[in-house]
Amino acid sequence: MSAEKLKVAVVGFGKTGMLHAGILSVLPRVQLVAVCEKSGLVRRFLKNLFKDVFVVDDVGELKDFGLDAVYVTTPIASHFAIVKGVYDLGVASNVFVEKPLASNYYEAEELCGLARRLGGVNMVGYMRRFSVTFKKAKELLNHGVIGEPASFSAYAYSSDFFGIDKNSKFHTPKVGVLRDLGCHAIDLALWFFGDFKVKNAKIDSLFGEDSEDSAFFEVETDDGVGGKFDVSWCVDGYRMPEVGFTVEGSRGVMRVNDDALELSLNGGGKFRWFRHDLKDSVCFWLGAPEYYREDECFVKSLVDGKNVEPNFFSSAKVDLMIDEVKAKAKNK
Amino acid sequence: MISQEKALLVGDNPFHGISHLSQERSRIRGDMPTSPEYAAKLVAIAVENGANGFMFSVSQTTLSILKILNENSVVEHLDLYGIVPYAYEYVRAASQKGGVPGLAKTVAKEILFSGNFGAVVSGLNGVLRAKPISLMKAYLAYEISRIKAAAGKNARLSCVLLHQLVTDVCLGFNLDWLFRAYMDFMLDKGIKPGFNTGNFAFLVDKFKEWRINLEDVVIAAPFNKVGFQMVPSREECEKALASLPKPNVLAISILAAGYLTPKEAADYIAGLQNIKGAAVGVSKEKHAYETFKLLREKLL
Repeated sequence: MSAEKLKVAVVGFGKTGMLHAGILSVLPRVQLVAVCEKSGLVRRFLKNLFKDVFVVDDVGELKDFGLDAVYVTTPIASHFAIVKGVYDLGVASNVFVEKPLASNYYEAEELCGLARRLGGVNMVGYMRRFSVTFKKAKELLNHGVIGEPASFSAYAYSSDFFGIDKNSKFHTPKVGVLRDLGCHAIDLALWFFGDFKVKNAKIDSLFGEDSEDSAFFEVETDDGVGGKFDVSWCVDGYRMPEVGFTVEGSRGVMRVNDDALELSLNGGGKFRWFRHDLKDSVCFWLGAPEYYREDECFVKSLVDGKNVEPNFFSSAKVDLMIDEVKAKAKNK
Repeated sequence: MISQEKALLVGDNPFHGISHLSQERSRIRGDMPTSPEYAAKLVAIAVENGANGFMFSVSQTTLSILKILNENSVVEHLDLYGIVPYAYEYVRAASQKGGVPGLAKTVAKEILFSGNFGAVVSGLNGVLRAKPISLMKAYLAYEISRIKAAAGKNARLSCVLLHQLVTDVCLGFNLDWLFRAYMDFMLDKGIKPGFNTGNFAFLVDKFKEWRINLEDVVIAAPFNKVGFQMVPSREECEKALASLPKPNVLAISILAAGYLTPKEAADYIAGLQNIKGAAVGVSKEKHAYETFKLLREKLL
C-alpha cells in the first residue's frame, strides 16, 4: 500500500467502537474517515463532536468514502449482517470485527467464504492474544518449558451481573455468556493447544429461561489433552472481566491470567511475572495496552498486505466450539 | 495554606476494592476497606500523619465516605480532588442497560431527579440541540452538587479531574475545544480543572500544540520507579514533566500497584521536578500511619 493514510470507518459507536476509534485516531498511518451508528441520539451528538469525521446511519453510505478498512464494533447479533453488507456492497475488502465473529458457526462460515472469495485482510478482536501475560504463556508453551501439556482448566469470569436483583430492569446480552465472555477463553485454548472436541457441557440460566449466564464444559484436544472451562458473568470479585488458565505439563504447572503468569517446575523452580515485568508499554493507552497492540497489528498487516491472526478462519472455530457446547448442553 | 505546600492525597482505589497489580490479590487478601466507616477512619489517620487531601472517583461509596468525614469534622482539613465520571460504574451500567443509549437515558433521569435546576436546564438544552458542551456542563454541575451535598459547606472542592478514559478518548479525537470548554466551566466555578491521564507525555505535547495554558490545570498521571503505566516510557514522561511551567502534576500509581515499597516510591517522587503532590491508597490503619508519615518526611 502507498504511504498515504489508510482510510478507516468504524461501524457501531458503543464502548468498544469508541475505544477503537480513539486508538485509530492516533495511529500515524490511519485516518478515521467515518462513523456509522444506528442510534439517532448518539449520531446527533457525534455530528457535533467530530469536525472531520462523517457520521452516517447506514453501512451502504460508507461506500462513497473509498475506505481501506472497516471496523465492526456493533452488538454481536448484528455482526453477520453488517460484515456481509460491507463485503456485498463493496464498502471495503479489509475488515476488523470485534469478537466473536458471528452469532453461530453457520454465519461464521458464510463470512469466511466471503472473505476467501473477496480477499483482503480480516481480523477478529480477540485482544487477549495481545496481552503480555498470555503472549508470554504461549511462548513458554511453544518452548516446552512445562513439558508436554497433560491437562488444563480455564475460566472466564466477570461480576457484570453479580448481585443483580432478578426483578430489576436490566438486560443480559441476548447472545449469552459463552459468546460474550467465554469466547476469550476458547480462543486462547485453541491458540495454546490446537483444535479440540467438546465432551460434555452444562449451561445455567439465572435470569430467566432465555438468559445464558454460566457454563461449564469439558473438552479433549486432538493430542489427547483434557480441558475444563468455567464461564460466568455472575461471580463476585471480578470487577473487571478476567480470563485465566492452569496448565499441567509433564515438567511443571503454569498459571496465567490477565494480570500475572506463574510457573512451578517439577525441579522446584518457581517464577512469577506481573505485567510490570513483561514490557507492557504502548504508544497510546486507551482501555488496556492490548487494544493498541491489536489495532497496530491490524494496520501493519494492511500496510504489508499480509493476513493476520486471529483472522476469520481461526475465529470461526470459536463459534463452532460454542455451538458444540450449546448442543451438548441441550442434549443433556 | 495547603495549596502552597505539596499535596499528599489519600487515594480511593482500595475503597472500591481495586488492586491494579492483580484482581486475584485483592480477592485472596479480602481485606479491602470497602466499608465507608472504615475508609473514613483510614482517611482520618492519614490526615493526622500528613495527608492534606482526598482524591476520589465520585460514587455512592466515596460520597458516603465524604459524608462521614464531614460529620467527623475531618473534611475541613482536606482539599478534595473529585474524579468524574466514575467510569467503571457507567461501563457496568451500559452493559446492563443495553449500551450507550440505555446508559444515557439512566444518567438523564438521575440529573432530572437531582433537583439541580442549572444542571436540568443545561441538560435539556444539550439533549434537544445535541450539544456536547451543554450536556457536559449539565453533568459536571450534577456531579459537583453531589460532592458538595455529601461533603458539607466546610469542604474545599479544590479540583475536579476528568477520568482517565474520558481525557484520553478526547485526546485521541483531538477535541481541544471540549477541553477548553471544560476548563472555562470549572474556572468559572472557582474550581481547578484537572485531567487524569494514562498518556501524560502525549497530553503535555497536545496541550502545548493547542496552546492550552498548562499553568491553569492539574494533571494526575502515573509516576513510579519501574515505569508502570508510564506511556510511552518512563523517560518520555519524565522529560514531559520537566518541560512544564510549574509544579502541577499529581503523581498516581507511585507504588506501581504494590510492586514498590513506600520508601522506594517516595524516594523516586522526591527526585522529580514539577510534582505538585502524590495520591496513595491505603487499606489498613498501619498503612495509613506509616505511608503518610513517610511521604510527609520525604515530600514536604
